[in-house]
Amino acid sequence: MIIAEQKSLEELKSLVGTAEKVLVVGCGTCVTVCFAGGAREAAITSASLRMSSKLDGSPKQVSDVTVQRQCEWEYLDQIAEQVGQVDIVLSLGCGIGVQAIAEHFPQVWVVPGLNTKFLGLPTEQGVWAERCAACGDCILGLTGGICPIARCSKSLLNGPCGGSEAGHCEVSPDIPCAWQLIYDRLTSLGRLNVLLDLQPPKNWRTSRDGGPRQIVREDLRLHIEED
Amino acid sequence: MDHQAEEFQVSQMQIVAYCCEHCAYAAADLAGGLRIPYPSAIKVVQLPCTGKLDVLMVLQALEAGVDGVMVAG
Amino acid sequence: MMANTNGYLVGSNLERVLKAGHFAVTAELGPPQSAEGDVIRKKAGLLRGYCDAVNLTDNQTAIVRLSSIAAGAILVQEGLEPIIQMTCRDRNRLAIQSDLLGAAALGIRNLLCLTGDHQTFGNHPSAKNVFDIDSLQMVQMVTAMRDERTFQCGDSFKGPEPRFFVGAAAAPFADPVDFRPLRLAKKAKAGANFIQTQLVYDIPAFEKFMAKVRALGVHKQTYILAGVGPLKSPAMAKYMKSNVPGILVPDELIERMELAGAPWAGKSKEELTKDDKKARSAAWQAEGIQICIELINKLHQIEGVSGVHIMAIEWEDAVRPIVEGAGLSPRPVVTESPPLAAALG
Repeated sequence: MIIAEQKSLEELKSLVGTAEKVLVVGCGTCVTVCFAGGAREAAITSASLRMSSKLDGSPKQVSDVTVQRQCEWEYLDQIAEQVGQVDIVLSLGCGIGVQAIAEHFPQVWVVPGLNTKFLGLPTEQGVWAERCAACGDCILGLTGGICPIARCSKSLLNGPCGGSEAGHCEVSPDIPCAWQLIYDRLTSLGRLNVLLDLQPPKNWRTSRDGGPRQIVREDLRLHIEED
Repeated sequence: MDHQAEEFQVSQMQIVAYCCEHCAYAAADLAGGLRIPYPSAIKVVQLPCTGKLDVLMVLQALEAGVDGVMVAG
Repeated sequence: MMANTNGYLVGSNLERVLKAGHFAVTAELGPPQSAEGDVIRKKAGLLRGYCDAVNLTDNQTAIVRLSSIAAGAILVQEGLEPIIQMTCRDRNRLAIQSDLLGAAALGIRNLLCLTGDHQTFGNHPSAKNVFDIDSLQMVQMVTAMRDERTFQCGDSFKGPEPRFFVGAAAAPFADPVDFRPLRLAKKAKAGANFIQTQLVYDIPAFEKFMAKVRALGVHKQTYILAGVGPLKSPAMAKYMKSNVPGILVPDELIERMELAGAPWAGKSKEELTKDDKKARSAAWQAEGIQICIELINKLHQIEGVSGVHIMAIEWEDAVRPIVEGAGLSPRPVVTESPPLAAALG
């Protein structure tokens, strides 16, 4: 899922600026699960902005609403009326949610309340870690299900580099060395031979390097026949 | 009690006490039974457990204008 | 200009020395953090005649320095042979190929392909890194440019190809240790003509590594130059032991360094005069050089070790006494064609 983190109250206040009517929009999917932008966080953010603006001497009208998914038009339709009544929307969705609101409500000034961090999972309560870089050409079949693109600091395809030490990356003792993990896993599965092949340079066109990406599924598209 | 606090008139204050029903709330109950008075400023809210307390409940009480929030459990 | 290599892949001095079966000596030169080319000329003067080729680091430890190719060009002007280092951190495949065409045109004949230290270590930690390709893929790419006259994209090109004697690095003691000989074998398979290792201080550990390398036959596919470096002080030895990944410094060597500074050991910082500090530093450095000489002599005895790479960064004047002390001076001059049997790679 998408992992995000809340911006500080100070930054939120600066983003909201002088707007008087504010709608905080939470999202009920990924950012709810990672405790960054769900209904609860939207209510807390909303109360915090109300109180801090009151303490600052210029009380704002801040309300909040949470939709199931900010990244789908039909859920955004449900809040069209509320969105139309405010000066600014503070989205607690990921970067996709913020942009969906901007795209769906062209007249609305929308600002982000979160920093979208990565695609990952909770490794334990309160800890999230990156797992996928959405490179568009999955190589997990070559590496025992551990992604060196997302998890090696240098995205090496023929790792590990000389900076691997005691299982962690040279960048930080808190980052496990992806190639140590790959090596250990392939060794325990008796498939170390996979690592003896030279992996050729990656085609990064499928990644962001090929420009913004889009998928078109003709089998799923709705074609309206014209008379 | 520091100097600043003394300036307050306790009777004019509003304090919300979130109390666990198994201990703090039961203690308040017992105090009542024993006729031990406590300040009328304290409004007790019974919780099944203080673990049920949410940041939002504290914020809501403060936003509603109370002077303080107490959690007992 | 590239046509006749007279039986050599490239015909660089390093290749000639290695193919003639001499125990090769390379040394490292760190370009300055400024545009001062004279620093390189000065350091080149210290190394002249005491090594077969000089490594020029490429923004080492991710700190901006004068470019390795420009420094290499200065060395060519000075009549020394450069080995330019090229990392995958700062350039994509376009930039690497383009820069290497330029390096070849400037007369540079040796290349060391490296992954590169992560940029968070250096003086621009907020930089975006590249890592488009990795060091093994770079070895493959430059080998194909040389041998097949093709760019990485597969397009062939006309005109002179960049001919490099291609090197790669090995970290014998980095984790996972058991995989290191296999990764070295991958580098040889990718086309590496020579290998320069991370600093070796622990001879028994390196012998174990080399035994595995020999079992894989890698020493017959590529020339392996063991990395050595003089210790400057006990503190440096301890720092490397505990802070630099992939470097093993035996306690015995740390003790020897401490012993060298023993006459001054009882004095507090305030008691030490400037002269004391100077004398202590000289004693440490002499011991560091002596240890380095002994390490080279031991490495020379290990089957499959074709030479040493001396890393005395910011202490280039240590190279001469080390090379002389190890009996590796004067350096051989190889003029004839390589003997067929010795032609590796």
